[in-house]
Amino acid sequence: MEPFVFFGGKGGVGKTTVSCAYGVKSARAGLDTLVVSTDPAHSVSDVFEQSFGDDPQSVQGIDRLDAMEIDPDTEVQRHLDGIRQSLSDQVSAAMVNEINQQLEMAHQTPGAYESALFDRFVDVMRESDPYDRVVFDTSPTGSTLRLLGLPEFLQGWIDRLMHKREKSIDLFEKAAIGNNEPRRVMDGDPVLNRLRERKEFFEFASGALQSDAAFFFVLNPDQLSVNETRRAIGEMADNDLAVRGLVANKLTPEPDDDEDGRGARYLRDRVATERERLAEVRESLEPPLVAEIESRTAEVKGSLLDEVADELAVETAAEAPTFVG
Amino acid sequence: MDLSDRIERFRRLVREWARGFYHGLVSHPAYEKIEKEAEDIEDAFILACFPDAFGIPSPVSYYTAELLPFLEDEFEAWERRLWDRGSYLERKGQQYHF
Repeated sequence: MEPFVFFGGKGGVGKTTVSCAYGVKSARAGLDTLVVSTDPAHSVSDVFEQSFGDDPQSVQGIDRLDAMEIDPDTEVQRHLDGIRQSLSDQVSAAMVNEINQQLEMAHQTPGAYESALFDRFVDVMRESDPYDRVVFDTSPTGSTLRLLGLPEFLQGWIDRLMHKREKSIDLFEKAAIGNNEPRRVMDGDPVLNRLRERKEFFEFASGALQSDAAFFFVLNPDQLSVNETRRAIGEMADNDLAVRGLVANKLTPEPDDDEDGRGARYLRDRVATERERLAEVRESLEPPLVAEIESRTAEVKGSLLDEVADELAVETAAEAPTFVG
Repeated sequence: MDLSDRIERFRRLVREWARGFYHGLVSHPAYEKIEKEAEDIEDAFILACFPDAFGIPSPVSYYTAELLPFLEDEFEAWERRLWDRGSYLERKGQQYHF
């Protein structure tokens, strides 16, 4: 299967648990594995009971498994600082203030978080060399979908920007009469260079997402979760990304037949409802249901994680990335 | 100074004036026009990069902000032109210096 595996789904369905379990499963199968979380709540740290930062760190007690947590706030700040740095190198003091305003504004737009996360995702994919498998624990559905739709959208935008820039430089060059120096020169124009770099970055991103990534959705056996999954699959299709499989999590365990107390009746009812939902999932949703994981009574950590990993019928063998940019 | 020299000088003077006349009447306005067009496209480029400046939220300003350090001249000229712009007609006809 593809080297990059993404788990997505509605908030609270258990994406982190499933991602970590799959990470453990891959590591136990002998693959060098990295689990990447973008959850600002730092749930991966909770699952492994160990705190992780922005750089991959090995998970104690599990060989071949590393984890990292991307913090969008830090990423946005880092991006801002980077630009500030080159600003003070390039621009006269008088303009710095003027430009700084623009800069701060750009980093407070609603899209800044997503862009920062996306950049980091792509960086991780680009530098995934030491790992056979990278598992992404994504943030809840809506923003993840927007995130994965970004490359295509941005590529078009950048193309338009480059076209405008080329046209204006071309005219400036034509307008320079005789020996006059044109106001802008096409050759080595830093703006065009920058745009070109970005374009390549997005091209790599969409290539890697199309050909080297497998997407799974985690869902719970209730109507809301099933509906959201259906919508999400539709949107993924709009972005030309296929969903490889669905993982049903938090299934209610069935009571034994001889039990007939209030609790047992409650459980039996729930199990019946959930079966209907799962039947609906199997019939009406295209991706196959690859795992059905029962609810645990305690948080999934330590040995419980291994149990869950066993219930995940997702293959682990990893191919090398085909799209290397 | 003999006659041929004086004729030569006169011809040079006429040629210079003719070139200047042509330059002022034809080529300069034409180049100015091209330059104006380039400026207009550059303004459109800046606007496409930073629509937030007009309160239009843009999903790409996070990325276009990376261009700011290299757009110092453009940015300043853009602001200046924004202040200075009367009507569209006036802008387009400026090279005729009425």
